[in-house]
Formats: sequence, C-alpha cells, structure tokens
Amino acid sequence: MNLTALRQPGARCLAALVAASVLGLFSPGVFAGSGQEKLQKIRAKWKPGEAMVPEFLTLYPCHEEDQPCGKLPPPAVEKVAFKGPLAGDAARGEKIALDVRWGNCAACHALPGAPGGSVGPSLADYPQRRPPVQYTYQRIWDGRVFNPDAHMPIYGTQGVLTEEEIRDVMAFLYQGKK
Amino acid sequence: MNKSKAGLALGAVAAVGAIASWQAPAGEAAKHDYWPGREKVIPHVSGDRRFSGTYDNWKDEASIRAAKAKGLMSHEMNFKDFRWLEKSFDAWPVLEEGKEYFNQPNAAGKSCASCHGPDGEKLKGVYANLPRFNARLGKVVVGPTQIRACAKDYLGIDGWKENTRPNSVLDMYVAHLSDGRKVDVDVISPGPLKEAYERGKNLYFKRTGQFHFACASCHTPPTVGNYLRGQRPSTFFGDAAHYPIYHFPYTLPGDDLAHVFTLQHQIRSCQMLSRMSQGTEGSRSMVDIEVFLKASANGYPMSIPTQEYNMSTDYLKR
Ligand code: HEC
Ligand code: HEC
Repeated sequence: MNLTALRQPGARCLAALVAASVLGLFSPGVFAGSGQEKLQKIRAKWKPGEAMVPEFLTLYPCHEEDQPCGKLPPPAVEKVAFKGPLAGDAARGEKIALDVRWGNCAACHALPGAPGGSVGPSLADYPQRRPPVQYTYQRIWDGRVFNPDAHMPIYGTQGVLTEEEIRDVMAFLYQGKK
Repeated sequence: MNKSKAGLALGAVAAVGAIASWQAPAGEAAKHDYWPGREKVIPHVSGDRRFSGTYDNWKDEASIRAAKAKGLMSHEMNFKDFRWLEKSFDAWPVLEEGKEYFNQPNAAGKSCASCHGPDGEKLKGVYANLPRFNARLGKVVVGPTQIRACAKDYLGIDGWKENTRPNSVLDMYVAHLSDGRKVDVDVISPGPLKEAYERGKNLYFKRTGQFHFACASCHTPPTVGNYLRGQRPSTFFGDAAHYPIYHFPYTLPGDDLAHVFTLQHQIRSCQMLSRMSQGTEGSRSMVDIEVFLKASANGYPMSIPTQEYNMSTDYLKR
C-alpha cells in the first residue's frame, strides 16, 4: 500500500478496518472515543459559553471541497449503552441545555420550565412522560439510530458534549423544574 | 410507544461495550449524508411549491398584498413582505458610499466609471445574471470576485478583496443597479455554470460541521415554519434576490463589512452559526453554493436595498 493513498481519509479508515480485523480487534468499541478524542482537543482551548474556536471546526466535514475537511467522511453512527444510575447534576444540565454556546437544546425544544424553539418536539413534559433513560441517552448521543435523517445534532458521536455533560442534561430533563 | 421499545431493545444489543459504531453499506450511507429533498429542487423560484408551499403568498406583488390583508405573518410570505415591497432607508448612505468608490479616480485618473459609464450606467441589469462564467479568469465568479479582479487588473488597486469594506459597498452599489430585474442565472445549458449549480446543490444538502447539519436542514420544512429559538429560517427560494442586504451595525467578529452582507458573508455567517468550518469568500465551493442560491431565485425580481429585519411592528397590532 502506498503512502499517498494512506493519507486519504477514506483509505485511512479502510486501513484501520483491515488492521483491526486482522488483529481480531473488530468488536464494538474499536472506534470508541473518536468524537470524544476531538472533544478533548477542543476543550483544551475552548470553554463552553464562549464562541467556538474556528480551528477546531476543520476536524469535521466541511464545504470546502479542496480542503482536507471537505474530503472527510461523515461520522459513523454510534450505538451507546447507558450505564446507570441517573445521577447527573441537574442544575448544570439546565445550564448546558439553555446556553447557546454549549448544548443549546432550547434552540429547537421547549424544555421543562423553559420556553424554546419548535423544531423538535416539546420536552416540557419529559418529567411526567419519563421515556426510558437508555432511549434518551441514545437520542442525545446519536439520534440517527432511530431516524437516519434526524435533524438533531449528534452530541456524543461528534463530541459536542462530554458523556458527563449528557448525563447532566438527562438529570435536568427527568427532574424538571420545581 | 414504538420509539421507547426500540430504545430498550437497543440497550440489550449494545450492552457488550459502551460504544459500538458501524458504517452502513456504502449506497445506504451516502443517502443519509445529504438532507432529503435534493431531487425535488429546480432552478426557479417557483420550486418552492414543492417545499414550503408558501410560494403562492409571495409570488408577485398582488399576492403579497393579499396575504398581508389576510393577516398572514412574514414567514408565511418568506419575508418578502418587507424584503420586496419596502426598501431600506438606512441603506442609502451605503449606496452613496459605493457610488463614491465607483467614480473615484486612481493616480492615472481611471475609475470603475471609465469602463462602465458614469455611475455605472452600463452595468444596469448585470447583477441579475451573476454569478457567471468569466472567460478571462477561466472560472465562475461572484460579484465580489469580479470587483476584486477589476480593481486589481484594471485600476491597480490591490486592497479591494472580497472581505473588505470597499468591496462590499461596491457590490451593493452594483447590485442596486439591477433593482427590479428578474434574476436569471442559466444553469440549464451545459457548461461551467450548470456544473457549479450541481455541485452547489450537493453542498447545500450535504451534512457538515460539528452539529452534522446541512444548510437545507434549516432552510427546508419542517424547520422552515418553525422556531429556532426566536428566529425563523426562510426557504432558499428567492432569498438571493435581496443580496447584498443591509445589516444592522453588527458584523462577524473581526470583519469590517460596513453593515453590508453579501451573499458570501451570509453563507459564512450561517456556517459559523451552525458550527461548520467557514469557507473562504470567492473559493470554488463558496461560489458553487452562491450559484445554487441565486439560481433558486430565478424568475424573481431583484430588490435592493432591503434590510435583514422588519422595522415595522404593524403586524403586532393584528
Ligand atoms: C437542531 C434542532 C435540535 C437541537 C439543537 C436539539 N434537538 Fe432534540 N430533537 C430534535 C428533533 C427534530 C427531534 C425529533 C426526532 C428526529 O429528529 O428524528 C428531537 C428529539 C429529541 C428527543 C426525543 C423526544 C421524544 O419525545 O421522543 C430528546 C430526548 C431530545 N431531542 C433531547 C435533546 C437535548 C437534550 C438537546 C440538547 C443537548 C437537543 N435535543 C437538541 C431537534 C433538536
Ligand atoms: C441552524 C440553522 C441554520 C443552518 C444549518 C443554516 N442556516 Fe441559513 N439561516 C438561519 C437563520 C435562523 C437565518 C435568519 C437570519 C440570520 O442569519 O440570523 C438564516 C438566513 C440565511 C440566509 C438569508 C436568508 C434571507 O433572505 O435573509 C441565507 C442565504 C442562508 N441562511 C444560507 C445558508 C447556507 C448557505 C447554509 C449552509 C452553509 C445555512 N444557511 C445553514 C439558520 C440556519
């Protein structure tokens, strides 16, 4: 295999796949953390609540077809399992959900105790409806599992939020506002 | 509930490891790399009939007036009530400034007017056909790139790049010389423009960025017609007929755009808002997206100068 070919993102993916299967590593979790790895890089320089640092956005697919980011493949769908208990920090979760430069759930959803956009379904009654936590976790992590054309950002797969932050948002959703 | 069952089943499947990820079979995956709807798009403003279905409320002046009389809201007229029927008063000083640059002689006594007539007489109607293929430069160009190239190659002015104030106010000035002309960008005849349109359409529907959004995620229904916090996005049909547009004194951080948003600035603004990497103004991909947007306004009259927000609060009284 020649090196220039390896530099193509698609090729690198393929090479990784081949290597993984040869080594018998092909099991759930091989790609684990790719989004979360990006997140680690980002969080070293970017604080939630501040404007996103532009240099990090080239880690994701972009429109410029002659730039490396223009050739990045879309992220693979990630299935996750929620390991209980539901013990996040609800107050922090609320902040994450409302902050435009953090989770910004309110852009699209009405939330328990807070108004919001109408692009996604209202979550105002989430504490009463109480869908299964596994479902909610997957929805936030990567909703494409339920709907491949879902509009919602894929918060976990792309490393928009940390696992802990997603747990905090969930604690907020289930607790509601007193 | 169906969804919840799926959720529970999933928990069992994925219990092996915390995260499992997979790549769907190639064809299947590619289908979802794009926001749905590309195949329904046509390069004419009436294409909106297949999207938001509001076109009949704003297709011409009489329809807009009738829609207003019925008490419809701006978003049900794709914001054409104030974009098309009302000119922006605040933008006039910007046009004056553009005109000054246009007529301003360089050291050799030459100005834009030397080639294009005093006040740009000979440029009337031209902007309605932009972007277009420039044979001298060998590529499809947007207004700001044409202006940059003219300034540099014919006047020896190096500083009027796409993201500068003189460029943006000139762009608005030149565009305003086409006020009332119907947008007509030929993307049907085979050639570079058609190719740019096809690429631009794909880019507009391609999912990108940290949020994994496409431009079309927000600019087609059901997002169009709903609220993104306090804002309502418009459909992409007809919007480009109002660009460059006057923006209130707020610009992208670090930019000096003189309150003018060219279509290139607007694309960058939406990219930033959606946590996508911002393109370089005038680059091939950014031009492709502009060709797509402008051709989606084909058949609609240009209206310049207009402004981003509705200053009239009359609708609150209804
Ligand atoms: C860009 C819009 C958008 C944003 C931002 C967004 N969502 Fe969503 N959300 C949706 C849409 C649309 C759906 C409907 C499902 C689909 O798209 O297939 C949804 C569905 C959901 C559901 C399932 C609701 C149900 O009743 O089954 C949950 C839970 C949820 N979102 C939580 C969140 C949280 C938490 C955040 C922020 C961290 C968030 N969403 C941010 C658009 C969004
Ligand atoms: C998260 C939602 C969202 C995404 C994704 C998005 N936009 Fe927008 N867009 C908006 C909103 C809201 C507005 C209205 C005003 C503003 O800019 O704040 C808008 C305005 C516009 C306008 C001006 C419409 C008019 O008539 O004023 C254009 C053109 C546009 N967007 C193009 C794009 C392009 C090109 C992309 C992809 C690079 C894109 N948008 C992605 C939400 C979005």
